Amino acid sequence: MNWRAPLAFLGVGLLLGLLPWLRERLDFPVFYLVFLYFVFFWAAQASSWNMLTGYSGYFSFGQGAFYGVGVYTTATLVDKFDFNFLASLPLAGVTAALLGLGVGFAVFRLRKLRGELFALLTLAVALVIAAVVRNVDIIDGGYGVPLGQVPYPEFLGDYSTMLYLLGLTIALLTVFVAYAIQHSRLGQGLFAIRDDEAVAEGLGVPTFRYKMIVLAISCFFAGLSGGLHALQINYVAVESVFNIRVPLFVILMSILGGRRHWLGPVIGAAIIHTLSDRFSSARLEFLNQIIIGSLLIVMILFVREGIFARLQRRVWFSLALFAGVLAVQVLGGIGERLITQIAIAMLALIATLLIPDAVYQRLFGRARIPC
Amino acid sequence: MQLIGQALISGILIGGLYGTLAIGLTLTWGMLKVINLSHFSFAILAGYLTYQLSTTFGMNPFLTMLVTVPLLFLAGVGLQWFFEAFHVDEFMSLLVTFGLFIILESLMQWFWTADHLIISRAQNPLLGVSLWVGPFAVPILQLASFLAAVLISGLTMYLLHRTYTGKALRALAQDREIAGAFGVDYRRSALLLSGLAAAYAAVAGAFIGMIYGVTPSAAIEWLPVIFAVVILGGLADAFGAFAAGMIIGVTNHVTSAVSDAGMAPLVTFVVLILALLLKPEGLFARRSSE
Repeated sequence: MNWRAPLAFLGVGLLLGLLPWLRERLDFPVFYLVFLYFVFFWAAQASSWNMLTGYSGYFSFGQGAFYGVGVYTTATLVDKFDFNFLASLPLAGVTAALLGLGVGFAVFRLRKLRGELFALLTLAVALVIAAVVRNVDIIDGGYGVPLGQVPYPEFLGDYSTMLYLLGLTIALLTVFVAYAIQHSRLGQGLFAIRDDEAVAEGLGVPTFRYKMIVLAISCFFAGLSGGLHALQINYVAVESVFNIRVPLFVILMSILGGRRHWLGPVIGAAIIHTLSDRFSSARLEFLNQIIIGSLLIVMILFVREGIFARLQRRVWFSLALFAGVLAVQVLGGIGERLITQIAIAMLALIATLLIPDAVYQRLFGRARIPC
Repeated sequence: MQLIGQALISGILIGGLYGTLAIGLTLTWGMLKVINLSHFSFAILAGYLTYQLSTTFGMNPFLTMLVTVPLLFLAGVGLQWFFEAFHVDEFMSLLVTFGLFIILESLMQWFWTADHLIISRAQNPLLGVSLWVGPFAVPILQLASFLAAVLISGLTMYLLHRTYTGKALRALAQDREIAGAFGVDYRRSALLLSGLAAAYAAVAGAFIGMIYGVTPSAAIEWLPVIFAVVILGGLADAFGAFAAGMIIGVTNHVTSAVSDAGMAPLVTFVVLILALLLKPEGLFARRSSE
């Protein structure tokens, strides 16, 4: 890693951080800030999941547990113990990381739990945590925790600006750590574990330690981002926090974007959130689920590497297509909202990325396939 | 004592239903390397069909199985055909069936709404009727589902250990290439097994529809406990699944009886994790099986 990467992340952060200020000057709807907050939230969650699953190959269905523990740590500290909201966020991350370490300690010792059993066990952890939270009165006890009256850090601006800025910070931090891991010794070790754990161990990779480290980091960010999200949810309840949505979405986003690169989950998060936001605003929730399920199947069967890898090979074509479809809509005045137009351009982009490399090469002859 | 005795009976009876659902799952996972999350959607779908057939056409809920079992058998065969056609491996099957699970859930919600549907008492007169054995109540429907489970696991064990197809399947599960060299037709056996698993899901679904009623989200509610049963019983072990079903059923119900019903999932997974730590190859596996 060199000094350019942190600077680039800082630059992106400053640019995006200027948006609320720009909004006051240009007076565009606050909806865009909320929308982007959700993109940040999902980018952080998907990146956190991908550090563990994409890098080490241990498939987790338990993102909901770590996210949920973050949500409830903040909710409990702030609501029941009058804790400062900002101070509760790192604690939310630490609690989730401790849970992760506990799970990892039990699970990673067993050779048999490599692979599919790990996936199911993480799912079970989520359900156990949900059962505990529902039954322990000091946390929830089945009544839900209202957070509407909680004092929030007002020096960051109004409610949605504050959420936007904090969401941006957490997302950038998470993605940066994902980037840093990928380019570190830890990342190389994890990739070796994913490719063949027995061989990696034979070559001297400390597999147990590496897996524990990455699990703790992954859970920390899941909890941190969950802690902030508690304020966005406003009324925290077991059914909505621990439902299948979070694990489902992070899996889908990472698989769509690509699990071998830190940018994959971020791209996946942006696309999936935009699409599902458009579907639900068009009151097509039911279609949303069906399309997401189908997309998951199609991606697994035909584009296992994710779209980011293909995007890299067809960079100019893809950018031109995306810009072209967007420009036609904006200039032609089709549709009324920019986000809808972007969503349609994204769909067009995904459709062309589904074209296999061989066909693409025959059509355009320009795909650079690295050997 | 009365309470615990009753909990034991309910636990054993529901354990049968757990076993029925788990056998299909454990066989396709252990023998075909397919982790079929949509197994649960199949069961709930069968539950809805049972509801619909008995409500619309006035069919006896037990007789609806004559329709749902063959129908789901075909669905299972189709699923395995799809996996073969696209060369889906174990890991991919988990995600593909997860996608299918989501699709089926929203289709069921769209068609039958999110309401809890249960067959009316006129169509389902046995609901809530119990035999009395001394001080203990034995609900008839639950007893029927338990007997069905005994029948199914017995049938499966006979099939696997006494028939050619079953022996072929076990050979395939141990080493596909060697078995193929001895002339075992993988495709045919796999299609049959997958169909059978889905047919078992149909039986379980019919009982779920009769005893508990169905909602689209019921599939996800059954998932954790059934996976606990599968893992506890050991993969591809029909008897293990049946016995583990009863162990989990009994621990669940006894926990609910002596403490809080909310603690039941916690105890279930403590049992599961302990079993994994102490005997990771499945509770009923003979060590010399490899």
